[in-house]
This record gives sequence, C-alpha cells and structure tokens, in this order.
Amino acid sequence: MTKSAVSAKNVEMQFGPFKAVKDASFELEEGRFLTILGPSGSGKTTLLRMIAGFLTPTKGEIFINGQAVGAVAPNKRSIGMVFQKLALFPHMTAAENVAFPLKMRRFDARTIPDRVSQYLRLVRLDGLENRRINELSGGQQQRVAIARALVFEPDLLLLDEPLAALDRKLREEMQLEFRRIQKELGVTTINVTHDQREALVVSDQIIVMDEGEIQQDASPSVMYRIPQNPFVANFIGVTNAFEGKLTKVSKADATAIFGDSSLVGVLRNGPVEPQEGQKARGAVRAEQIRISATKSELNGLDAQFGGTVADVIFEGERILYEVKVPELGEVPIRIFHHDQNDFATHELGESVHIGWKSRDLHIFVAQ
Amino acid sequence: MRKYRTSYPISWRIMDVLEAAFASIWPKGGGKYTPYLMLAPAILLVGALVVGLLYIGDSSLRVLDRSTFLFSDHWTIENYKRAFSESFTLTVIWRSLLGAFIVTFFTLLLAFPYAYVMVRTSSSFLRKFLLIALFLPFFIGQVVRAYGWLIILGSQGIVNDALGLVGVEPIRLLFNYPAVLFGLIQYMLPFGVLMLAPAMTAIPEEVEAASGSLGANWIKTLWYVIIPMAKPGIIGAGLVVLTLSLTDFAMPAILGGGSQDFIANAIYDQFFRTSDQGFGSALTIILIGIGSMMVGLIFMVFGAGTLALGSEKK
Repeated sequence: MTKSAVSAKNVEMQFGPFKAVKDASFELEEGRFLTILGPSGSGKTTLLRMIAGFLTPTKGEIFINGQAVGAVAPNKRSIGMVFQKLALFPHMTAAENVAFPLKMRRFDARTIPDRVSQYLRLVRLDGLENRRINELSGGQQQRVAIARALVFEPDLLLLDEPLAALDRKLREEMQLEFRRIQKELGVTTINVTHDQREALVVSDQIIVMDEGEIQQDASPSVMYRIPQNPFVANFIGVTNAFEGKLTKVSKADATAIFGDSSLVGVLRNGPVEPQEGQKARGAVRAEQIRISATKSELNGLDAQFGGTVADVIFEGERILYEVKVPELGEVPIRIFHHDQNDFATHELGESVHIGWKSRDLHIFVAQ
Repeated sequence: MRKYRTSYPISWRIMDVLEAAFASIWPKGGGKYTPYLMLAPAILLVGALVVGLLYIGDSSLRVLDRSTFLFSDHWTIENYKRAFSESFTLTVIWRSLLGAFIVTFFTLLLAFPYAYVMVRTSSSFLRKFLLIALFLPFFIGQVVRAYGWLIILGSQGIVNDALGLVGVEPIRLLFNYPAVLFGLIQYMLPFGVLMLAPAMTAIPEEVEAASGSLGANWIKTLWYVIIPMAKPGIIGAGLVVLTLSLTDFAMPAILGGGSQDFIANAIYDQFFRTSDQGFGSALTIILIGIGSMMVGLIFMVFGAGTLALGSEKK
C-alpha cells in the first residue's frame, strides 16, 4: 500500500460566521498531482492555505506524511509553494531567488551554487541566472518561482493558481511544464485552479469544490465521465442541463420526463435513494450530441430530436451549434461539432436532427 | 432599463468653460511644451530662493567692522576662517550633525514598526487610531509641543512629581542634549512614518508569506526581504528626517534652553541678536554645504533612483 502524503480529516475553516471550508476530507498518495478545482469563493484557496500553514483549521486535522501539522508554522513545514502573484523577490537576481530557501534552511553553503544551477536547468532558465526579476518575461518569472519552490526538495509542492494571469498560449505551455517537472521529480503536488481544462490536463486526481464543500474527488477521466452531481457536470465541460421529473427507476438507469419528452439516462444519484416522481436534473455534454441534416446519419443514437439552428459559432478546432428543440424546452441545446474537413455545414435557421446515446445522459436526483 | 441623467454635472461644465477660455487665449495650445509650462511656477519659486541665496553668499564674504557697524567693501573669507577656528561654532556644527544622525537613527527605528503595523493590520480601528495619533501632533505645531514637554519634563513637571511620590529627588530632565534629541525624535516620527508607509504598502503581503514558506522566520524575513524592499522608503524618510533635524530651530531653542544650540540657532543669533549678517550668512552657507554634501553622499551610495518607488534603479 502506498502511504498517503497528504490527508485531511473533516477540516473546517470558519471566518466569523462564514464557513469557507466545510467538513473536507481527502487523501493524496505520494508523488501524485492533485488539483483542487472550483469557482472563486469555493474555498479551494482557503484549503490550500491551511495545508501551507498560513491558516489553522478551526476543526479537523491535516496530515503531511502521517504527521498532524496543526499549527506548525509555514517555515517549519517542508512545503514549496508557487504563489498566485509569484511573490518573487524583486531586489534579487533569478539565482539569488532560487538560493534563498537554501540559505534560509541552512543548506551546506558549498553545495548551493550547484543546486541552484541544477534547478535553473530543470526549469530551462540556464544562462539567465544573473537577471533581475523585472528583466525576465512572465513565463521566465513563472519558472524562477517553480525553481525556488522546488530547490530545497520539499515533501510537497503547492501551486496557488500561478497560471491565472498568463495569456492562454503561455498558460497551456506552463501547464505542460508543471506536468513535466512534477513527473521528473516525482514530488507530491497540490494545485489550485478555476480552469477545468488545466485540471484535466495536469492532474492525477481532481477535487471539485463549491461553496466550501468537496463535490467530487476522482481521477480526471472519472470526473469527466461520471460526474456525481449537477454542479460537477456543469462545471467540467460544456453541458446541457434539463429540469424534470423521475418516472421510472431501474437498477442502472432511469427514465425521466424533461420538457415534453421522456428520456432514458444513467442515474448518478448521490446518497439519496431515488423515488419515482422526484424532481430530477438531466445533463448531456455538448460534445456527446451529434448533429446532422438527415435522420439516417443518426442511426444508433437512442434519443433523437428535430430542431432548428439558432446560432453557429466557429471556434477553430470545432464548431458550436445552438439548436432550438421545442420538445426539450426554451433553452437551445449546445452541440460541439468536430470535423476538420467540413466548413460549417449547417446554416442559421436550417432544420436539423440531433441525437445522443442514453448512456451519455446523466440523471441526478434533486437533493 | 437604467436611466441616464440627461445633463452633465456642473464640474464638467466648469471644465468646458475653462477649456474654452484656454483655447481662446492660446488657440494653438502649448503642444509638447505644456508640461514644462506647468513646471514654471515651481521653478520661479525656487529661483527666488536662489536669488536670496546669492545675496547671502555675497554678505557671507563681507566682515562686519564692529566700530562702525558697516560691512567691508571687498570680499574676504574671514567669516569662514572664524567659523572653522572658533570652538563655539565647531561645537554647534558637531552637535547639530551628531544630533541629526542620532535622531534619524532612532526615528527610523521607531517609525518602521509603526508604519508596518499601520499598513499591515487587518483591524481598521487600529489603523485609524494609528493614523490619527500620527496626524494629531501636526495640528498642534512644534512650539506648542515643545512647550508641552516643558510641562511634562520640567523640574516641577509631571515626571518629577511622579518620581517625588516614590521618594526620588527632582532630576533635571530638560535643557540638556538628550532632551533636545528626545523632542526632535518625537517631532520627526510622523515624517518618518509618512515617508515609510507608501514603501511598506508597495511590498505585497504574498512576498512575506513566500519568505515564510521558503523557510525564513520573521527576523530573517524582516532582514532579507522587508528591509531591502522598503529601502527607497527608508532612504527617503532618512533624508527628510536628517535634513529637517539638522536645520531645526525650535526644539534646541526651547528644550535646550540656550545651552544646546544647533546651527539654526547660531544663525538666528547672528542675524537678530549680534546683527553680524556676514558671519550669520557664512554659517548659513556652511549649513547648506553640510546638508547638500550629506544628501549627495546618500545619493551616491544608494543611487538617486532608489527614491523613485518601484521604477528601475538608474
């Protein structure tokens, strides 16, 4: 059994009357990359700051390498952290920034220069050692911050949304960099972000948070394929949601009425035992719906509807169609269409057929 | 739908009138010279001071003939010779210089934590309290404050009364060098804090958190991160406090009781008591020289650019 590097047991953080984190528990195995994902105000940063030691939980306990850390000060924990605004020291050079934790932690002074250049090489900054921080580009500054957080070989690396301020291209490049470095060093990592794409790309494990509560804790593919509640289904990917009523429940699937139509889907019930007649929510991802001008092309899809194209948005690698389906209510259904050889094949106002497989419709029982 | 107001506010219309007036006076506008034009009043003001300085320079080179009370027609450096040979003036200069440095050191020492807490505290009550406590003395003025110290520290003052209660004989707390320095530090503290506070604000809290997570305790964080990053503010505050206390008049006069004169007091005596304008002017020039040299030295050591917060060092 691999030991868990970080775990939280019923952790709660209360600021005055406001509970920022409610009863959070999770386990993270050594050497794995965990992303805490959630919208702003979901409590994800508060959770990270408790792990870092900047906040002490009002209830519960956090364990690092099996040790309860309680109120241990940040400088007494073996944690490297990359901050949201990087928090580099502007009065030092890149190399001095990286050497700082080594000096503070009293590493053998003779080994410091070698170590610093080793880590600057790791983040591909060799040759820029003597630049001051304001002489480096945004991406280079990110790399200095990573090197500084890793150079003293901490047990744990924490990333507090350091990529949020970067432009998309650089952000995606740095996501892959984080992944590469993390795999190369095998350091246990906890990342906080509101970017669901980043979470899917970099992580071994994802925790989705909302309103201070952990909504789901799973691997990226499970998180994507088997969302446990409507929040997760909506937050990850582009999802079409329907409101309706459960009509039939069987072991694996369920039937519910959404709008005017009765649809079969997979029941993703939470802790409650579903009852017929209960309120239900349905969710289908935009990329799991197919669109076609002719009905025959949709063979094999159990749910099929006719509709009219309300909007066509060209997004480059894919086209987003918004299709009005009277049977499914007022809100247009969003569909991603990937076809590199096609120009937009459907036009505004065109009558089209759409369809999906029953196993792609998630049905949640309203709590 | 949200309603928009149908007329522009009065301040906008005032601006319109002003702009129209400006355009009628100067139709082509100042172009790129406008900023320099706006600098002109300040330059004129400083220029007037320079003219005054030239006069002082001139009279510093003329010796007073004590039998006729007339100044010599020709230039001589006699006044400067006298200043640097008379033990009294040398003592005064030394006392002012040493005092200015001691005051600067202690003011910065006290102002730094004050400014830090004021900027960092999460309690808005404490921040307001510290700000008010800082500004209150400004409303009172230096002379009244010095007089306040007379009441507190005088031989029949509050402190000696309190000491008397525990059986201690009255101590002379006033009219000595420490009293002057004490008064000056108290006077300079708000200047120090006000100069330091913006520099502290410019240091992101995240940087301190980072320093902690990298293994530094608070003393190391203070020494290796906060103080270096606050350096522009520290130098600015130091310069202001140093020059202000070097040239101070009221504290040495009131709390020193005539026995602890600084250069400004000596100059005052020459101008208004002995009426030896020549010697007074020479002392003035020496004071300006010492002050400029110190400022120049600090700029040379730390670079004038350090004062420009956040921008690159030149």
